[in-house]
Amino acid sequence: MAREKAKRGKVSMYRNKRQMELNSVEVWDGNFANSHALRQASVDVVSAYPITPSTGTVEGYAAHNANGYVDGEMIMTESEHAAMSGCIGASAAGARAATATSSQGLALMVETLYQASGMRLPIVLCMINRALAAPLNVNGDHSDMYLANQSGWISIDACTPEESYDLVLCAFRIGEHLDVRLPVIVNQDGFLTSHKAQNVRPLSDDQAYDFVGDYKEVNSMLNFDKPVTHGVQTESDWHFEHKAKQNAAMMASPKVIEEVFEEYAKISGRKYNMIETYKTEDADIIIVCLGTTYQTAQVAADKMREEGVKAGVLMPRVFRPTQLDMLAEKLKGAKAVVCMDRSAPGGQTGLLYQDVAAALFNTSARPLLSNIVYGLGGRDINIENLKSIYTHAKAEVDAGKLDGAIQRFVGVRGPELKYYSVEG
Amino acid sequence: MSSLLGGLPQGNKEIKSLKAFSTAAERFEGAHVLCPGCAHSIIVREVLNATNDNLVVGASTGCLEVCTAIYPHTSWDCSWIHIGFENSSTAIAGAERANMALRRKGRIDPNTPEPKFVAFGGDGATYDIGFQWLSGCFERGHNMMYVCLDNEVYANTGGQRSSSTPIGASATTTPAGSHSYGEKQNKKDMIAIMAAHGSPYVAQVAPNKWKDMVKKIQKGFDANGPVYINAMSACTTEWKFPIHQTIEVSDMATDSLVFPLYEIIDGKELNITYRPKNIVPVRDYLGVQPRFKHLFKPENEYLIQEWQTRVDAQWEYLQRREEAKV
Amino acid sequence: MAQHKDFVNNLYKGKEHFENSIFDMGWDEIVQGAAVFSFEGEIDHTVVNVHPEDRNVAETNSQNKYVGDWRVIKPVWNVDICIDCQNCWLFCPDSSIVSRDKEMVGIDYDHCKGCGICVEVCPTNPKSLIMFDEHIKNEDALTQWPEKKQKEEK
Repeated sequence: MAREKAKRGKVSMYRNKRQMELNSVEVWDGNFANSHALRQASVDVVSAYPITPSTGTVEGYAAHNANGYVDGEMIMTESEHAAMSGCIGASAAGARAATATSSQGLALMVETLYQASGMRLPIVLCMINRALAAPLNVNGDHSDMYLANQSGWISIDACTPEESYDLVLCAFRIGEHLDVRLPVIVNQDGFLTSHKAQNVRPLSDDQAYDFVGDYKEVNSMLNFDKPVTHGVQTESDWHFEHKAKQNAAMMASPKVIEEVFEEYAKISGRKYNMIETYKTEDADIIIVCLGTTYQTAQVAADKMREEGVKAGVLMPRVFRPTQLDMLAEKLKGAKAVVCMDRSAPGGQTGLLYQDVAAALFNTSARPLLSNIVYGLGGRDINIENLKSIYTHAKAEVDAGKLDGAIQRFVGVRGPELKYYSVEG
Repeated sequence: MSSLLGGLPQGNKEIKSLKAFSTAAERFEGAHVLCPGCAHSIIVREVLNATNDNLVVGASTGCLEVCTAIYPHTSWDCSWIHIGFENSSTAIAGAERANMALRRKGRIDPNTPEPKFVAFGGDGATYDIGFQWLSGCFERGHNMMYVCLDNEVYANTGGQRSSSTPIGASATTTPAGSHSYGEKQNKKDMIAIMAAHGSPYVAQVAPNKWKDMVKKIQKGFDANGPVYINAMSACTTEWKFPIHQTIEVSDMATDSLVFPLYEIIDGKELNITYRPKNIVPVRDYLGVQPRFKHLFKPENEYLIQEWQTRVDAQWEYLQRREEAKV
Repeated sequence: MAQHKDFVNNLYKGKEHFENSIFDMGWDEIVQGAAVFSFEGEIDHTVVNVHPEDRNVAETNSQNKYVGDWRVIKPVWNVDICIDCQNCWLFCPDSSIVSRDKEMVGIDYDHCKGCGICVEVCPTNPKSLIMFDEHIKNEDALTQWPEKKQKEEK
C-alpha cells in the first residue's frame, strides 16, 4: 500500500478532459450508472458488443463518447468474443480496458475470460446477469455469473445501480493493483437492477478519477524499450507453475479488496465488505443469496423477526475468490442455513450451497444446510416467497432435520422437485 | 563486428537489391521449433525485415505461434501477443486502438514514430475460425496488416482440411481413399473477400519471389487502413515434399499460376505483379506434392484437367480485370 | 585451400551463464502472466540498429537455444566459390546463414536444422554450399568438393 501511495503521489494526469457536472443525487438505472463509472474512470479502450440487458451500459458510454466526454477509444466489435479479444489486445498494449455483457455474450467470450486472467490483464467487465439459453431468455438469473466462476476473474456482486457504480470504480483499483493484476467482473441483476432507475449518489468526476488513479502499465507491448511476448504456450513442464501463481494472486486479493473498500468508504460514505450480512449475529435461520434477492430477503427477515423468528441474510459481496473462513465465521451460530442459487444447477447442488458446505465442513458447526433453486429466467421471488422459505426452514429446525431432501426447486409450476434425499 | 547503421531511418527498408536487403538486422531469432524447411519463417523474416519501424506483432494459435513462443523461450525481438485461435486480428486491433488512445491522452509522446501493427494467422485461423474476427477488423478500418500464412491445411494439428484446402488435396479429414479423391470444395477466395471489405490494399505473395513480397509488404505498411496479405506457405510436412525443396515447390506454385501474384488497390485496381517467363503446367506442380499423388491414377486424370482449366480461367480473369482497370 | 570462417560459434549460453536462471525458478519467481522478455532489462538502442549477436538477449530469447541436434546432415560453406548473392541468407528458415555488410560470413551451426534449402538456392557451379554428413569435419568436406558441372547437351 505504501508503494501504491508513493506511485500515486503525483496528481493523476490522464482523466477525460471534458467533465460532467453531476447532481448530488442522480436517478440512474444500473446500465447508465455503469456507463458513468466507466466514463469517470477514463477507460482507454472500451471494446464492446451489445446484448440484452447489458446493452444500456454500452449505449450510455457511446453517448458519452459521442458528446465528447471520452478521450479514449471505443471499438464496437462484431461479437462478444471479439469484444473481449479487443480488450485483451488493448490491455496488453498498456491501456485501461473495459467492456459489458450478459448471458450468451458471456458464454461466447468464456474462452477469452480464461485467456485474460491467465495473461494477468486487469480488464473490468460490467456483467448484467441474465439466464443462459436454452430456452432463450433475456431476464435476470445468475447462470452467467456461475459460468464465469472458475475463469480466474474476481467476481463482485451489486444489488442496486448505486452499488454497481461504486463497485465498478473499485474494480479498476482492485484489478490494477500491482499485487493483484487480475480482471474483475462486477455483476448486477438483469432488468431488476440494470433497467430500474434508482437513486445514485455519484462521486464528482474529479473525486472518482482521483480514486481510480492513472493506469499503471505492466509489461506493455507499446513499451519498445522492453519488448515482451504475451500469451505463450506452456506445456506440462511449466503450466502448473503459472496457474499456481495466478491462483496465488487471486487468493491474496482479499487484502487489497478490503483496503480499496475502506478507502472508497472514506470518499463516498458507503462501505462494502467481502461478505455482507443483515442481522446474522443472532440469527437462527440465515438465507445466503446474491443480487436483488439479498435486498428482498432483508425485508422478509424483518417481517419474520416480527413473528418471532430470528432471521438473517448473508450475501457474498465478493463471489470469487471464495472466503471459506469468513463464511464459516458468520454462519456458525445459525441453526439453519438456506443457500439460494439463482442458476439452473445442471445436476448438482448450487454454487452457494457448495461454498457454504465447504466452509462449514471443517468446523464443528452443523446447521441444517439446504439448497434452493429459484428465480430462473427472471421468475420473480418476492417477500412472501422468502417468508415461506424462512418458515419452511424454521419447521426443519423444530423437527431437528431436513424435510427429506437437500435441494428444492421453489416457485416452479408442477409437482414438487426435491433432490439429494436425506434420511428422516 | 560489422558496421550497422547508427540510427536507421524509420519506415521501409531499402530493397534495391538482395545484397542491400541482407543488411537487415533481424528481429526473428533462430532456434524456434518450426519444421526444418518451413516456409512460415522465411515469410516472417521477409515481412519483419521489410521495415525499420517499431513493431507490435500478433499470431493466432498455429504452427508459427506454437513454435516461436513456447515457454520459456521467445523467438521475437519485438512485442508480440497470442490470445487464441480466432483472434490475432482483434488482438492487434485492440493494441492499435490502445496506441491511438494513449497518444491522444499524451501517455505516449505523439511525436514518437508510430509503430506498425501486424497479425499473422494460418489459413485455418484466417479462412475458417477467425474469419468473423478478421472481417470485423477490416470493416472497422483498423490501421493494421494481416498476413495469412497459407499452407492450405490445419498443419499444426496434423493436416486437417480448411476452407483453403484446394480440390483433390488429401487432408486427414478429407483423405483420398478408395471412394474419395480427397477435398471436394474449391479453395475460398480470401483476397477477393478482403478486397470487398474496402481494404486499401490486398495482395498475394510468395516467399520465393522475395522482391515482390517485400515491395507489397512495404506498400501495405504505407497504406492507411487494414491490409490483407495472403502468403503462400509451402509446407514440407503436410504437402509432403522433401524438406530442401521448399523454394523449388514455391517456384512451381507461382510459375504454374496456381498461386498468381497480384495486388488489388482500393478494391478496384488489380495489378498482376509477376508474369512467369515459362508457365509451368499445373500437373507438374501437383506432381511434386504427395498430397496430390492419388490424382495421377487414371480414374482421377480428369481432376488434373479440371485443375488446369480452373487455373487458366483464373489467370484469364486476372488479366482481364487488370486490363479493364476495375 | 579454401578457408571457411565459422562466424557464430556457441551462441547458446547454457543455464550457468545466467545468474537467476529461469530453469531454477518456482511459481513465485516467474514473471506473471507467463510473459517472456526478449532482452535483459530495458534496451537503450533501437533493436534494428544492432545485430542479434550484439543485443543483450535474455535467457528466454530463443537465440540461446540449441537445435543443432536436429541435424543428421549439415551444410558446409565454401568461401572460395561463394559470390555473396545472399540467396542462402534470404531463404534460410532458421536464420542460420550469417551475412554481414553484404558478405557471407558463415553458418550458425547452433541453429541450423540441416534442411538443405541453402544448397538448393545456391546459384554457383559447383555450389558454394553442399550438404555433408554431420560428423565430417568441415575442412575435410572442403577437400571433397565436386567439380564444376558441365552443361548437358540438349
